Amino acid sequence: MLNFQRTRGLLFYLSVFLFCVGLPVILSFALGYKFNTHTLKFVKTGLIFVKTQPAGAKIYLNGKLITERSPASMHELLPGAYKLTLELAQHYPWKAEVEVEAGKVSRVDKVILFPVRPNLQQLNQEKFSSFRIDTEKKMIYYLDQEKKILYRSNLDANNFEDIATLPDKFMQINGWEVSADRKKLFIFNHHQISVIFFDTQMDDEYSASTVLLDYLQEKIADVFWHSDSYHLVVLTDKHVQVVESRLGAVPINLVELNKAQAVAFYDIKGDTLYFSDNQRSPDGSAYNNLYKLELSANLYSLERLFDQPFGAANYLQKEK
Amino acid sequence: MNKASTLKRILEIIPGGLSWSIIISLILLSFFYPICSAIIIISFDFYWIIRTVYLTTLLVMAHSRLFRQRNEDWLARCLGLSGNLGFSELYQIVIFPVYNEGVEVLRPSLAALSASHYPQEKIIVVMAFEERNIQAHDNALILEEEFSGKFGAYLSTFHPDGLPGESRTKGANATWAAKAVRKFLDTRGIAHEQVVISCFDADTCVDKEYFGCLSYHFLTSQKRHQASYQPMPVYNNNIWQAPSFARLVEISSSFCQMIESMRLEKFVTFSSHSMSFKTLVQIDYWPTNMISDDSVIYWKGYLYYNGDYRVIPLYVTVSLDVAYSNNIWRTMVVQYKQKRRWAWGVENFPFVVNGFIKNKNISLLNKLRRSFHLLESHVTWAVWAVILVVIGPLPMLFGGVFFSQTTIAYNLPKITGLLFKFTLLTSLTWIFLSWTILPPRPKGISWFKHVLLILEWIFVPFIILIIGSAPAIDAQTRLMFAKYMEFNPTLKGNKVL
Repeated sequence: MLNFQRTRGLLFYLSVFLFCVGLPVILSFALGYKFNTHTLKFVKTGLIFVKTQPAGAKIYLNGKLITERSPASMHELLPGAYKLTLELAQHYPWKAEVEVEAGKVSRVDKVILFPVRPNLQQLNQEKFSSFRIDTEKKMIYYLDQEKKILYRSNLDANNFEDIATLPDKFMQINGWEVSADRKKLFIFNHHQISVIFFDTQMDDEYSASTVLLDYLQEKIADVFWHSDSYHLVVLTDKHVQVVESRLGAVPINLVELNKAQAVAFYDIKGDTLYFSDNQRSPDGSAYNNLYKLELSANLYSLERLFDQPFGAANYLQKEK
Repeated sequence: MNKASTLKRILEIIPGGLSWSIIISLILLSFFYPICSAIIIISFDFYWIIRTVYLTTLLVMAHSRLFRQRNEDWLARCLGLSGNLGFSELYQIVIFPVYNEGVEVLRPSLAALSASHYPQEKIIVVMAFEERNIQAHDNALILEEEFSGKFGAYLSTFHPDGLPGESRTKGANATWAAKAVRKFLDTRGIAHEQVVISCFDADTCVDKEYFGCLSYHFLTSQKRHQASYQPMPVYNNNIWQAPSFARLVEISSSFCQMIESMRLEKFVTFSSHSMSFKTLVQIDYWPTNMISDDSVIYWKGYLYYNGDYRVIPLYVTVSLDVAYSNNIWRTMVVQYKQKRRWAWGVENFPFVVNGFIKNKNISLLNKLRRSFHLLESHVTWAVWAVILVVIGPLPMLFGGVFFSQTTIAYNLPKITGLLFKFTLLTSLTWIFLSWTILPPRPKGISWFKHVLLILEWIFVPFIILIIGSAPAIDAQTRLMFAKYMEFNPTLKGNKVL
């Protein structure tokens, strides 16, 4: 037992020694102190922390290569300005002058190193007029006005398939969009809207034959799908309307517009239309206002509005 | 309140007051002086790592002693002692204070005792029941029928409830039994100095060499009556059945006791222990109104012999039950309560300091040293996990913008992370040692349990949170506010031998 106690005593004093010697070293490192062997004094230093995207960049500090690669931290730097260069093969270098303060961390952690050759891929070689990306279903829809077809592929431009044929008499296409249920699309020009059902996904609920809606008196500016994939929200030079995507459907004028060239944005998640329109005040001043029209409630309530069409500004005044 | 009561209250407040002061000060520093707080945290972390490595080395040494002595034929060594030193006249008394444990807990303890490699006629067993337990007399009869012929003498005592000056503690029951034994010995003319008494928890199963080892150390020790004899407690009775959480806690407890056995100047009796019957009588038995009777008995001896009293470690095991319940939540509660009861050992501090003030024969240096050790161990127990787990991240969270831009803020998590990776090495040592003290795997237990026993060590950080500091803070706070605890025995699982 005595031998054990002697060994224990040695261990104890060794532990005390380690603590007494190690703690000042650890604390001075943590606080950024460095012993200057020339002046035999402790000096307070700072550090630079570098993080890049992508990682692994070479780090040059005042032109001198550091052994570590990013992300890295350079400790015990005397206060002052440092020229920092970050280099990664096949990427543009990044340079800056970094100020180091005593006891402080200079963070250079939002560096993106851009590749010299961007990661550019040619997906296909087709003759299409326009396309839409469906990130949710990972699809690309292509519209070919010349051949009058709509086809699609996956995001890598593989697995092509024709899914709809456009009506022959529909010449100019100003805009188009696939419905949220991915079963149909609309195309429109200034005086026509056509809803075309996809050949591959027939739906018993709706007519599968193409719908054509003529707008002889009004000029169509924009069209949007309602989230129910059945109603269309139409912005013309005179009205904001909703119309069903069926043959013979009669548009409902929700709002009468003052401005012929209103612009609109439709938030399909909230079924909300944001649009601009003019308003002239009694003193003759003209305003360009932004309006918000919520269509998330069931559309029957909108039919009530149809009985008394009015301008957006008038509508709001009545509400007050 | 008289002077003595005032002093007692002050001494009761000191440990809890100190622990809370440390915790609150560090929290406030983290908000208002985060750099200062970070320096303290790094210093404490570094101290803790050095301490862990140091203690792990002691554990390895204790473990090595335990394994070297585990196959020793102690009885043969006793018989081989030159001049016999009185072995043939030596009697062993074993008291089992029983609270409400049933025969299913007591039977294996007595069976292990009867299987001891020791002359059974020299063993006197006392089953110390509580009179208030309605099953006590029935259980006593059952056990008497089974075991009364297997020992030199077998006594059952029944401790009356509500004696003046007593609390409902294990010590009160053990003292009642010891007084009964004294009468028994006196009527048979057995001298007290020829008797060694062991006070065992009801679930204690002794190693077959225990009494040989105890007798050898007792007979060969200088000032044999001025010492307590402490075996190594292991919780092997039901360790294969116990849930991981409880198992880990109890293995850690065993290891802590083994480490303590290497620090003789701080070593204090714990749980099942033995001592000279003569000394027990001289120091007026175990305390009858304190929960931590197992450690107070040491301090009574220390004060009685003016500081010339020690605890001699016995590198032989006594096996106890792992405390657990039927689901993890209840097991946590059971473990928490058990550790809180152990932490209630903080009541020793006022007792000891009060004793030191009255005793003029112990040197001031010894008084200061022992008081400091006692206080430091309890305060450290209460604050270490809080500092490491709770206060450690506070400067980073609440230090503010200025602090976050400093080098110490940048280095704090890196340094503490590095230091704690280093402690993983010590954890591997603990895992290996824990594996070596396991009893053989019983039939019906899958070999996969061996793997589980290693994997379960990943729960250690969680366990630290639950029972690291909280029970000690709880106990110290209760003592601070004079909310004295009552003895509440731990719920034990069934033994599988």
